[in-house]
This record gives sequence, C-alpha cells and structure tokens, in this order.
Amino acid sequence: MSDTTYTGVLDLAAGAFLLVAVLIVWRRDLRATVRLLAWQGAALAVLPFSEGVLRHEAAPIVVGLAILVLRGGVLPVLLGRAVSTEPRERRESAPLVNTTASLLVVAALTVLAYAVTRPIIALSPTPTTRAVPAAFAVILIAVFVLVSRRRALSQAVGFLMLDNGITATAFLIAAGVPLIVELGASLDILFAVIVLGLLAGHMQHTFGGTDLDQLRELRD
Amino acid sequence: MSTTTDARPVGPHETDGGGADAHGAAAHGASSAGYGALVSGASTAALGAAGLVLGLSSIFGGGLHVRIGWLLPLVGIRFDVDPLGGLLIALTGAVAVVVGVYAVGYARHESWSVLTLVMLPTFVAAMLLVPAAGTVTTFLLCWELMAAASLALVLADHRRAAVRSAGIVYAVMTQLGFVAILVALVVLAGAGGADDFATLGTHAGVVSSGTRTAVFLLTVIGFGSKAGLLPLHAWLPRAHPEAPSPVSALMSASMVTMGIYGIIRIDLQILGPGPTWWGLTLMAVGAVSAVFGVLQASVATDLKRLLAYSTTENMGLVTVALGAAALLSASGAATIAAIAITGALVHLVGHAAFKALGFLAAGSVLASTGLRDLDRLGGLARSMPVTTAMFGISALGASGLPLGAGFVGEWLLLQSLIHAPTQGDPMVALAMPLAVGAVALTTGIGIATMVKAFGVGFLARPRSTQAANARETSRGMAVGMGLAAAAATVLALAPGVLGPVVGRVLAVLPAVGGDTAGPHLGAMLRLPGLPGSMSPGLIAVALVLAVVVAVGLGRWDRRRRPAPADVPLWACGADELSPRMQYTATSYAEPLQRVFDDVLRPDTDIEVSHFAESRYLIAKVTYRNRVEDPIERGVYAPVVRAVGAVAERVRRAHNGSVHLYLAYGALGLLVVLLVVR
Repeated sequence: MSDTTYTGVLDLAAGAFLLVAVLIVWRRDLRATVRLLAWQGAALAVLPFSEGVLRHEAAPIVVGLAILVLRGGVLPVLLGRAVSTEPRERRESAPLVNTTASLLVVAALTVLAYAVTRPIIALSPTPTTRAVPAAFAVILIAVFVLVSRRRALSQAVGFLMLDNGITATAFLIAAGVPLIVELGASLDILFAVIVLGLLAGHMQHTFGGTDLDQLRELRD
Repeated sequence: MSTTTDARPVGPHETDGGGADAHGAAAHGASSAGYGALVSGASTAALGAAGLVLGLSSIFGGGLHVRIGWLLPLVGIRFDVDPLGGLLIALTGAVAVVVGVYAVGYARHESWSVLTLVMLPTFVAAMLLVPAAGTVTTFLLCWELMAAASLALVLADHRRAAVRSAGIVYAVMTQLGFVAILVALVVLAGAGGADDFATLGTHAGVVSSGTRTAVFLLTVIGFGSKAGLLPLHAWLPRAHPEAPSPVSALMSASMVTMGIYGIIRIDLQILGPGPTWWGLTLMAVGAVSAVFGVLQASVATDLKRLLAYSTTENMGLVTVALGAAALLSASGAATIAAIAITGALVHLVGHAAFKALGFLAAGSVLASTGLRDLDRLGGLARSMPVTTAMFGISALGASGLPLGAGFVGEWLLLQSLIHAPTQGDPMVALAMPLAVGAVALTTGIGIATMVKAFGVGFLARPRSTQAANARETSRGMAVGMGLAAAAATVLALAPGVLGPVVGRVLAVLPAVGGDTAGPHLGAMLRLPGLPGSMSPGLIAVALVLAVVVAVGLGRWDRRRRPAPADVPLWACGADELSPRMQYTATSYAEPLQRVFDDVLRPDTDIEVSHFAESRYLIAKVTYRNRVEDPIERGVYAPVVRAVGAVAERVRRAHNGSVHLYLAYGALGLLVVLLVVR
C-alpha cells in the first residue's frame, strides 16, 4: 500500500467514524443505533489494520482484527439481544433534547474538537494526526449522547461510542497502543457491556422500564 | 471495646461450632468445600515453603534479581532481593507454611467461600513480593496488592455487621496509609532521580534535607499505620479479631512486619543516617505504642483483640529498638546500635512465631466453642490440652519471660538501652533511661496480660456451657500449631540459629551500625565489648535440672508423710464452689484499670436495685464496664465528624439524576479542554 492510498483509506475511515456518530445522534430507533454502532466498530478497525498493512507489521493487524470481532460483532450483538428484550413501544429512545437541537449541538462540538486539537496537530503534522479531530469529536459527541439519553441501553450505546472515540484517538496520536493495553481495555469494555445489559434487564424487571430519571428516588 | 459482664457470643453461626452443626456442615459440603480447603491450604503452604527457601538462599547466596519488562508498561517490574528482604521473605514463608497447614482444617470447619479460599494464597504471594521489590513502582504495586488481598480476607465473614464495620475502618486506614507511602516514595524517587532502591540509596546524599524530612515523616505515618503504631493503630484491634483466625495470624505475624520493613528499608537504609531527632521520634512513637498497646491488651476481654493490641505493643518495642539504633549510630556508638538493631530483628522473628501461634490457638478455641470472650471461657485445659499447651507457649513468648520466644529480643533491646553512652549528647542520655522505663513497664504489664489470657481463658472451670462442651481441635490444625510452637521453642532456647542470618542482614544496614561486629548469637549470647552475656539454653537446662531435683526430693520425702485422706473441698463457707466465684478477665484486670484510669478512661457504672419492701435488701447489682480506645474517641471521632459534615455539604449538589451527574462530567471535560488549550 502506498502512502497516498493509506492517507485516503485513513481519511475515509475517520470520516465514516464521525459520520456514524452523527447518525447515532440523529436516529431514535434503538435497533438502528446498535446497527450503526457495529459500522462504527468496523470503521475503527480499519485504522490499525491499514497501518499494519502499510508498515508490514503483524501486531496492528491483529489488533485491527480483534477490534473488528469485538466492537463490530460481539458487543453490538450483545446489545442487540438486550434491545430485543425490551417491549416494542419502548424501543424508541426519547432524548431529553430534541433531534434538531441535538444535531446543532453535535455541529458545535465537532467545531470545538477541531479547535482544541490544533496544538496536537501542530506537534507533528502527519496524515495520522490530522485525523485526530474526527476521533476527538466522537468522544465529545458520545459524552453528549450519555448526557441526553434517557434509556439505559442508549446510555450503553453512548458508553461504547465514547470508548471507540478514545481508542481511535489513542491510535491516531500514539500510532497504536501496546497490545496488552488494548486487550485490557477491550476486556473492560466487554465486561462493562455485559454488566450494563444485566442491569438494564434487572431495571426492566423491577421497575418496568429503563428510564434513568426514575432512578432519582434511589439516592437515599 | 465492650467488656460488659453479660458478654455475647461472637456470631449466630459460630455459637455452636463444636457440636452436631459442624459435623452436618462437614458432611454436606465434604466433597467440594473440603477439596477447596485442601487446595487453598496446600498452595498457601507450598508458596510459603518456596518463600522460605528463596529467602534463605538469597540471604546466604548472592541475592536474587528478576526483571519483567513487559508486565507493567513504561517501567516494568523488578525484584532485587538482598539479605534484609530475604529475612522478611523467609519469615513470611515460614508463617505461611504454618498457616497453610492449619487453614486446611479451619477452612473446612468454617466452610469458607471460594473467594476466601483463593485470596489466602494470593495474600501470601503478595506479601512475599513486597520485600522482594527492587523499585519504587514494584514496591507500591505489591504493597497495594497485599492491602487489597488482606481486605478481601478480613471481609470473609461479611454477613456480620461487626466484620463489615471493621472492614470499612481497615480499608480507609490502609488506603490513607498507602497515600502517605505513595507520596513519600514518589517524592523520594523524583528527588533522587531514580526508581530503584539501590540507586536511590547511593543518591540519597543529593536529596535536600527538607525533602528528606518530608519523606521520613510521611513514611513513618504510612508504614506506622501498617505496623499498628500509635496513633494509627485503630484498624488493628478491629480487623484482627473479625478476620478468620489463620488470616489474623498472617496479618499479625507477617503483614504488620512489612510496616517495620518499610521503615528499615526507606528510613534507615536509603535515607539514613538521619539527624538525631529521627531516632528520637521513632523511639517516642514506639514507646508510646508499646505502653498504650499493652495497657489496652491488659483490659481487653476479647481474646483476639487482646492479641491484636499485643501486636501494637511488640511493634512498638521493635520501633523503640530501631529508633535507639538510629540515635546511637548518630551519636557515634555504632557497636551498641548494632545490638539494638539485632534486638529489633530477633524480636521481629520471635514475635512472628509466638503471635502466629497465639492467633491459631485462639482460632482453635473459637472453632471449638464459638467464643472469643475470656469472661465466658475457662476450663479448656482439660478438654483441649493440645490447644492449651500451644497457647501457653505463645503466652510465654508474648510475656517476654526467659524461655519464651520474645525474651531474647527484649533482652538485647534492654542491653543496648542500658549500655548507651551517657556522656555526649544530653538527649541520648535522657532518652535512654526513659526508654528503659517504658520497656520495663511494657514487659511487666505484658506478663500480667498474658497470665490473664492463659489463666482465665484456659485454666480453672468453664464459665459457660459452650466452654464446658469444648472439644479438642482437629489433627490438621494441631499439626499447624505444633509447627509454630516448634519454631517458637527453637527461637526461645537456641537464638543462635538466627546468628548467621542477622549477621548478613546487618551487613546491608551500615547506617545503623551494621558495619561493626554485631552481638554474638551463639549458644551463649555475648555482647561485643560489654559485660552482658546470657544463654537461654543454659537457663532451660538449669530449670529442667531444678524440676528434676525438686520432684526427686518430693518422692524421697513422701515416706515420712501420713497417708492421704479424701475430704470435702473447702468452699469458704458456701455450699459448693461455682464457676461464678472465679476471677474473670474483667475482675483480674480491674486493679490495673484503676491504676491507669487516666489513660484508659473506662466507662463504668454500677446499678443497685433494691427490693420494693425494704431499702436495706438488695435485689440486683449490675456492673457494666466499657473500655473504649481513648485515641479513637479523641482523635478519630472528630475527624470522622468533620469529613461527614463536608460530605453533607457536597451532597447537596447530588440530586440523584444520572443525567445531571453526566452533565457535570461533560462540563468538567469541556472546561479542562478549553483551559488547557
């Protein structure tokens, strides 16, 4: 793979990565959101994979494949299973902020991400670091999703998106993280999703819904 | 601490431990629980044996160096075992062997959960790694591993409220201590410009004196809290009694020792030699801990709580010895400093032997009767002779009398204090006699305490039905205790076995007189250049001879005596003697409690109720006596109240909405991003 092709692939993957995040904010159907999340995982996997192909190294390729399996396959399937246990009328995620306002906020956050990452790009302006703002914007968008969604499963989606963003930023800034760190983080995420799924199930069972605002009374 | 006369049994499921209950449990889970207990105990003992061999080989061999670069990103893991670390590893290993053998029977009896069974060997492994750590990072990692594993073990029986409360106290104190150690070591590593202890030791000269002082104070706080020194001892008398007995033994004999190891390694070896006030501080903290610990032990009625306070006492004595060594070495008396540090090391080893044995014997009593309260025990000598003998050996060691495992260390400490040069520094001339007084007071009250624990707990008549129905402990547990008793006896009679080990350790402690010839630990203990000498072996031989002669004389004299006759027992005019006429632990300690009223601050009330018909006839007298830890009441309670008040204020911002919390986080992130830019 030549450098130009690599840059093209990288930019395409980062763009897709960001686009999926915006789409997740736009779509309300939980099933569609989970499907989008799988696509985001795939886009994330392209980052280390293409780097491995460019440099003829095995480790990034292995990491890319592991990410593809975990974030493009296992986690969305686990979440999808949790979604299918919810009653049909509750599957629509009802955000606290309406869709139009959400998209405006996302636009503002993306601009902010580009603004705050400029010093990082200035440190070493390579094609890889130029893609950092996209990954950073995904982190901010994910935090927004966490803040603005009501249902526990939407929160899980936001959480996974946040982690995707963090992983992507790590790849782009540090040109990959040690394999052991990546494995540890992935294991964490897997457990977190399993726990979140279980908790959502329990909430559904106990309260008949997964609206987090109803948890307010549990404070004392 | 509650020492009410209407003492309660320890826990609902432990009350009838010895009877049909235990057999039912054993039969029920014999296949799975018994197998798990065997695996856990065996792996603990195997780890311990490996530690013992490794420790001894690194003392006498050339040391051990292991590097694992990939395990911890950026810095890696590094183990360098020198003779000092080797001594601690061997010590922990020996305790772990004993506890592992004992735990097989104990865990089966108490039907431990899988988590507890797994954590026991994990805890031992972590403790073996702490003294092996060669870098600051590795040390902190192993230290935290040890703390977390011990916390999980303390909470083994988490269904009881007392255990949970002890667990919280322990968790908070151990983490605060860890913070102090973390800050101190990070500052030290930063100022010394190195991560590994060996380089730090050579760079210590470039560290500014202010930094050295800060590191010294922080490490004394952090390691002191682990060693149970005042005023950070409060977790010890809570966590030790509530933890399962093999765990108490491990914690009290090994983990607490790691605190002392930290002080020796960081303050005496790497930072030392320090200014005079370092030694004085250590001596003061140690002396106060020793006296306070033994006083609290003397009025404790809970057997395991008594042993826990005795740990504070003994670690206090060791700290006095460390402080004396630092002080003497700073004032030029290196030979006597070597005696003090030898005393500290010997006492550390002796304490591990007798305290592990004490907790294991207390565990046997607990398993058999379900009681820890001395006021309800008694008469165990007849029903549990093996356990009684074991506790007797432990109590002899703890009382610091000759032929006990604690004697040699205390003798060496006293010798070093007495022979300190009186000319020169007036502080030294003043501190040494005061320390002699504190050590003597500690030993004296220590004897009373151990007489109480042994006499009230094991002799005389049983004071409750549980104590009356006690049965001898299982064979596996007896073997475990027997190993510890053998070690304690060898240390007591032939301290010379420690001679070569202590010599090697002293060589790596030049800051406290280690480069001079230490005291000669052989069959005869000789002090270099001083008139003192002593031989526990000869004392034992003399005692045996005296007993033989006395018995022989008695036999020889028997012919002249009239024939024995059976008569009713004299019961002071009453119908017959009842167990309620005996001394209890509370009444035995009452005079001591009255003498040290100002320090102990007991909360006593006597309530006399009369008959309605006549004021002159008494229907009932109720005596209630609570001895709380005055430091806990005076120092801890205000701190806890202040933290609570602040937390209440912070709580107003928490209205329970998850979204609000997430929004706080998001806002914080945005603010950080904008400010940092």
